[in-house]
Amino acid sequence: MFEITYEVVVFILGITAVLAAFGVILCASPIYCALYLIGNMVCFALLFLLFHAEFIAAAQIIIYAGAVMILFLFIIALLGGAKEIAEPSVQRSSAFAFVILLFGELLLAAGVEPTRPITGDLAPDVINAIGSAKAVGIELFSRHLIAFELASILLLIATVGIICLAKYSYLPARKPSK
Amino acid sequence: MGNQFVLIISASIFCIGTVGFLIRRNPLIMLMSVELMLNSVNFLLIGYSSILQTLDGQIFALIILTVAAAEVVVGLAIILTIFRTRHDLNVDHINVLKG
Amino acid sequence: MFSYAWLILALPLLGFIGLSWFGNKISKKQAGYAGCATVGLSFLVTLVVLSELLALEPEKRLGHVETLYQWVSSGSFKLDLAILIDPLSVFMFLIVTGVGFLIHVYSIEYMKGDPEYSRFFAYMNLFIFSMLLLVAAADFFFLIVGWALVGLASYLLIGFWKEKTSAVLAARKAFVMNVIGDVGMVIAALMIFQNFGSLSYMDVFSAAPDQFRSNDDTMVMITLLLLVGAFAKSAQIPLHTWLPDAMEGPTPVSALIHAATMVTAGVYLIARCHVLYELAPITMYLIAGVGALTAVFAGTMGMVQYDIKRVIAYSTMSQLGYMFLAVGIGVFSFGMFHLMTHAFFKALLFLSAGSVIHGLNGEQDIRKMGGLRFAMPLTHITFLVGAICLAGVPLTSGFFSKEAIIMSSFHAEMGNIVFWAMGVLTAGMTGFYIFRVYFYTFMGKSRNPEAHPHESPKIMAGPLLILAFFALVMGFSAHWVDQFLGPVFGVAAHHYEDSMLEAIVVLAGLGGILIAGIVYMTSKDKLEFAKQALAPVYDVLFNKYYIDEIYDFLIVKPVRAIGAFFEQKVEKEGIDYVVDQVGSQVRGISQGISFLQSGKIRTYALNMVVGMVAILLFVVFL
Repeated sequence: MFEITYEVVVFILGITAVLAAFGVILCASPIYCALYLIGNMVCFALLFLLFHAEFIAAAQIIIYAGAVMILFLFIIALLGGAKEIAEPSVQRSSAFAFVILLFGELLLAAGVEPTRPITGDLAPDVINAIGSAKAVGIELFSRHLIAFELASILLLIATVGIICLAKYSYLPARKPSK
Repeated sequence: MGNQFVLIISASIFCIGTVGFLIRRNPLIMLMSVELMLNSVNFLLIGYSSILQTLDGQIFALIILTVAAAEVVVGLAIILTIFRTRHDLNVDHINVLKG
Repeated sequence: MFSYAWLILALPLLGFIGLSWFGNKISKKQAGYAGCATVGLSFLVTLVVLSELLALEPEKRLGHVETLYQWVSSGSFKLDLAILIDPLSVFMFLIVTGVGFLIHVYSIEYMKGDPEYSRFFAYMNLFIFSMLLLVAAADFFFLIVGWALVGLASYLLIGFWKEKTSAVLAARKAFVMNVIGDVGMVIAALMIFQNFGSLSYMDVFSAAPDQFRSNDDTMVMITLLLLVGAFAKSAQIPLHTWLPDAMEGPTPVSALIHAATMVTAGVYLIARCHVLYELAPITMYLIAGVGALTAVFAGTMGMVQYDIKRVIAYSTMSQLGYMFLAVGIGVFSFGMFHLMTHAFFKALLFLSAGSVIHGLNGEQDIRKMGGLRFAMPLTHITFLVGAICLAGVPLTSGFFSKEAIIMSSFHAEMGNIVFWAMGVLTAGMTGFYIFRVYFYTFMGKSRNPEAHPHESPKIMAGPLLILAFFALVMGFSAHWVDQFLGPVFGVAAHHYEDSMLEAIVVLAGLGGILIAGIVYMTSKDKLEFAKQALAPVYDVLFNKYYIDEIYDFLIVKPVRAIGAFFEQKVEKEGIDYVVDQVGSQVRGISQGISFLQSGKIRTYALNMVVGMVAILLFVVFL
């Protein structure tokens, strides 16, 4: 009898995430790409749950799969999701070649045994005792405060950037030169 | 399920994202590929945060989440602005920066 | 028990938001009435609060902190959205909403011809809200928020006629001067937090006497920094130059902000923080000294100005000097009492002046006025009432409050003969300059035959009459004010009786009036020799002691010169050259290799991937 263990769930979710990722880059129509991307993100969120990162999982669902992807869908609806016909080109084949090389290298790197022993003191049960969100919060506002503040500045800059982009209309650019 | 699995899944999705960015001509899908790449890194960080029993990876992932959100919004705004002026969504036609 | 007191703040804020959102959708009339209604209702709520406060035992009236909710709670730092209800804040509420309401009503008519009517009332409501926040704050944080908002509202209102360059410049000057003060306040607040671990008045004032000895360095520093804010807001030397210029704004603005309310914020601040100031007698002496000096200084400048509003502006500075003198020598309730009477008679004077200006279609130069007592009988009476109150003619409100301060400046513990003499001197000058304006404006014959003065309509007359009434009778409430504010300051201030000194003060005031009468009622040529003799003094005074020029010479010019030097030598010949060279070299090289730039994103990305592969190769295999 096939038994559903923790490992099996993680394995199935991981494979699903990979398949969904393939969907993103292979579908001709942007709308399907976006849907596959949502699928990929949900798989990741579930994996995060299994890795005892409940807070990040929730953030992933709300921010990524929720807000960001809705934005994507809006833009697709606005610009029209024209299908794209794949045509072989030098760019295409060299891209495949180099990325396969990259993947091979990454796999080789993955084969190296970790040199660093397990050092942390926040085992899953410790985190569960204080609660994931609270643990992340304590960590974020104590040791990583500057990173947090920088992230807030980043968001501010992004906001200003969007306002500038949205506010000023630009003159038509130079005609595309082939 | 050890760290090898996390590494392999993460590497595969990173590479898939890279391919997507390189072969697609629709800027929206290119942006989605970038999201895939960022996500794979997040996955790696959180997987290792769980394995190494620290929270640093999660914090890092949270910051990446912020960066990704900002990046998507700015990216989409740029795409929209480009579309408004050119009515064309093929990145190969956008080469005003040609030297 | 006073949670409804939040309405006092909420109503003007509502008015501001409403008028700024829907201001252009409703008629002028509606906008004006809405603006008045919010302030009027807020005044009514204040009256309810007052009656409830009076029903309590005097010692139970203190320290009612009404918390709306806890805003920040981070470790030991807590910040509540709270207001403080005690006799001092209610006293200020009464002045701000009461006088504010009358001025709003007056503005309905005064601003009638202005196309941006609703914007004016929106700003006025914003100002009232900010001022109320300033006085209602229960901690230094919201005090500073209110403080800065008041500065903003003042900036917006001085520059209300934004097509007038001088108004915009005056607004900017006022804002910069005020921000100098804000910076002092913020540093003071940070020091307070560092020393007491809290920003709440209650915590700080109860801990201060135990924690610090008298004249402790930290305490002197904190009080001095707070004082920078107070001086800037209340136009005391050396941060006074913005107030006369602020007269570029509409007259109701001058009456509301630059006479009755905002400029008194500094006095309020010192009265509110009296616990801290009592721990720093050095600072108290400084306050009294600067106050007395400003009183004399502004009085002399007021004597020679020809712009009706500027004269009154200088008199405001001078009277504020009295208030600072009072709080500086420790008679806080006298300072607050003078603040109140001053609010009435100065608002009255400004509004009467506004009525004159309105009647003469914008004329502000008193040399072109004259004989208005026939054309504008009502304004004549109200201006006269304001003038006698300001000059301290016996039994008017100005007499009681000013006399109390001058008496204390001699007899009180921290008083001395110098302060007293300066007070008396100022009293004499006050009588002179205000009656000089009076004689110029209302007596004699019209100097400008083309002017056709007309009396102002009823809606403007109403506030004038009400203010005139209060300006005359409020002096008799001295005892009541003293008792009401007594618990806040620990002890009721002592009234000193000294008929000799009192007579001198009264005579000084009356003498000033008399001299003004003699000088301006007699014919011109007889005075010619006096004018010749006094010409140099006159020039110095008319040019405001050349303070603006001194600032220009000492600060602006050297900075400009240094700037010019650096621009030419360092910037153009040094840095720019290097930068230009870097630029042109890079340009030359990049022109050679620009063929690599295809302009295609995907090609660039592919290059990145190639680079990544190469680097990984290095990492994994080597």
